[in-house]
Amino acid sequence: MHSLAMLAFGRVGWTDLKPFIPLGFAFGGIYALAGVGMVVLYRATGVLNLSFGAIGTAGALISWWFINHTGVPDVIAYLIAVAFGGVVTLLYGLLFGPAFAARPPLVKTMATLGLALVLVGLMGHLAPPLNASPRFLHLPSSDWRYRISGAIVNWTEIIAFLFAIVLTFGTAAYLRFTKLGTAMRALANDREISATLGVPVRRVEAAAWLGSGLVCGAAGLLLADQLNTLDPNTLTFNFIIAALAAAVLGRLRFLWATLAGGLVIGLVQSLLNAYFSWPNFDQSLSAYRTVTPFVIATTGLLWLGRRRVITVARSGN
Amino acid sequence: MRSKKTPVGVALAAGIVAVAIAAFVAGPAATSPKLGMGTATTAKCGLGTGKKATGKPILLEGIFTLVPGIDFTTIGKLAQAYFNCVNDNGGINGQRIVYKLYTEQLKPDQIAALAKKIIEQDHAVGVVGNTSLLDCPVNHKYYESKGAYLIIAGVPGECFGTPNIAAVNMGPRYSNMGAADAMIKLGHVKGTLVVSSPSAGGIAAYANGGPCLVAKAAGLKCISDAEDLPLSDTNATILKLVQEAGDGGGVIMDYTAETATALLQAAGQQGVVDKVVWGQSTPVANEATAKVGSANGFDGKIYIGQEFNNLATGKPDETLMEQLSHKIGLPAQAFGQMGYLVGKFVTNALLSVKGPITFKSYNAAAVALKNQKTDILCKPWYFWKLKNHLPNNTLPTATYKNGKVVINRPCAPVPAVDPLVLQARAAEKKFHLNTG
Repeated sequence: MHSLAMLAFGRVGWTDLKPFIPLGFAFGGIYALAGVGMVVLYRATGVLNLSFGAIGTAGALISWWFINHTGVPDVIAYLIAVAFGGVVTLLYGLLFGPAFAARPPLVKTMATLGLALVLVGLMGHLAPPLNASPRFLHLPSSDWRYRISGAIVNWTEIIAFLFAIVLTFGTAAYLRFTKLGTAMRALANDREISATLGVPVRRVEAAAWLGSGLVCGAAGLLLADQLNTLDPNTLTFNFIIAALAAAVLGRLRFLWATLAGGLVIGLVQSLLNAYFSWPNFDQSLSAYRTVTPFVIATTGLLWLGRRRVITVARSGN
Repeated sequence: MRSKKTPVGVALAAGIVAVAIAAFVAGPAATSPKLGMGTATTAKCGLGTGKKATGKPILLEGIFTLVPGIDFTTIGKLAQAYFNCVNDNGGINGQRIVYKLYTEQLKPDQIAALAKKIIEQDHAVGVVGNTSLLDCPVNHKYYESKGAYLIIAGVPGECFGTPNIAAVNMGPRYSNMGAADAMIKLGHVKGTLVVSSPSAGGIAAYANGGPCLVAKAAGLKCISDAEDLPLSDTNATILKLVQEAGDGGGVIMDYTAETATALLQAAGQQGVVDKVVWGQSTPVANEATAKVGSANGFDGKIYIGQEFNNLATGKPDETLMEQLSHKIGLPAQAFGQMGYLVGKFVTNALLSVKGPITFKSYNAAAVALKNQKTDILCKPWYFWKLKNHLPNNTLPTATYKNGKVVINRPCAPVPAVDPLVLQARAAEKKFHLNTG
């Protein structure tokens, strides 16, 4: 049985894999959080927000600044980060949403990339690397640690995982049972008809921008703690690539699929660390773990699209 | 009717204001020497005259890697601070040094173009201070063809194994060897030694190869690990390294401070500090990283191959280096020591030139340097005409204690299991290069 298990796991034992599981679920939870935020926004506004990572990172940096340079309590600093995410995203939605509303989805998406680049540039200028004394954002929940079956688990990891599940559940319920949620779903189906039927389009879109921005701010804090860095480039691109992959797996529509996708990406990427000697030390599987989001997203899309009927030609005129 | 006293009153008021402004600009009467003039406890910059140099500029330029996760510009900034100090203290016999830093992003064609620009377009007198993952391998033949002799802070093998380049440091390979030697002799590593370096620029195989020679000589297994920077998950990376080493094994982390500090933090968070013996190359030997290390349980448990003597020794060169670091808003650190030494040795070369300072005369002076004493290094430094250069091959080892870096093994030679080490020691003996 032990030999079969070793074979199934590519000759890596269960003891070696165990420590990476809590980390994998924590990162997966953060990716799922961000992915759900992106999907809700996309469904309501048709905008795929590529500035998600940059906004979350900027919020984390602002939180760090408050903690290290003012007398503000840490909790307030964290709330400022979350609020920053909500405010910036909302402002962008209010200022640029209507202007780009009638444009194709690609144009709307590229516009958010512009916001991302502006933020990354500002962060690089205002928060340059400190070399010997790099910045860290350490959440107090990371100090509450437990050893469970040989793996270290801390409360930040548990929060990230549970928050993703609760948020997905809550958002699904909100969209189904509340008036605003129903209006968001209506907008997602057809913006013009919804407007004609009296749905307050601007207000519904604003709610979507604000909600996804608040999630973005929270996810930025969690990721900064888990990655042990506040380097703007590392956080921004780590964030957005995996979140996008999770959202794509959910086909930018299905929240539970986005949650599952995010968790799978986080878990697989983490578990691959254990394959440092397989097939050999020089070319191990763990060296390729950073491509996990791309591989899983591509594989998932191919699998999900396998039964689609494609019309090659029409008969007639 | 206009009073005759009015113009006099205005003139008097203007005179008082002018005197006040002059006094303000002049500042209080000097009661202590200016920075760089030298005292019993602080070295001087160049001539140490306290007078600003205003003569014809001497152009020096350097190339530094700057990419996410790796920033070597600190070394250039300290060298620049030293040259500014020299300019404030008489310059090079009245001539002032102008030092320009170029950054590169690990693109070979960009780096080759920069070297050509420095020598052929900018007509710099010297190429100095370069700290780059690719400059030595890409450009060393070009420098040889032009007769340029570079005093730099080196990283890849070509910075130590070619005739026209001499580094003030020993680079990650030999720094890791010092750490490995201390881990084996003092830390009693068992079984496996894992050495982890950045994959950028293909540096890992070179940097890890040296400590692996030390490990094999001691009968240990050695695993060479290369990580893409920036690290996507420091917690998982640290768990992986510990698993590779096994209980009682050793892990050497060969990263610059920003990455290494995150790994130290991750090790503390994952509760794996006591599972292995830890080692690290020079960049983490500073107070900021020591605070993180101590907070995460690394006191006495890490062996840092520190290429230079400790910070805050109170000795003249070290004190001046720290004053210059403070002046430009940087914490005292090993990169600062490298930049300082580049500045010091280049200045010594320039001051030794008899006659006009030109590209030819400066480079001839640079390569003729030997027995350059400094309290920052274990032994005097040299350039000299040799096939390869490892002038810095003796190092102390440090650890953390209560947020400070403390020496746990004084100056010891890098183990003589590497060919370059053997060649360097033979040349030192033959030409009396570091006898003091």
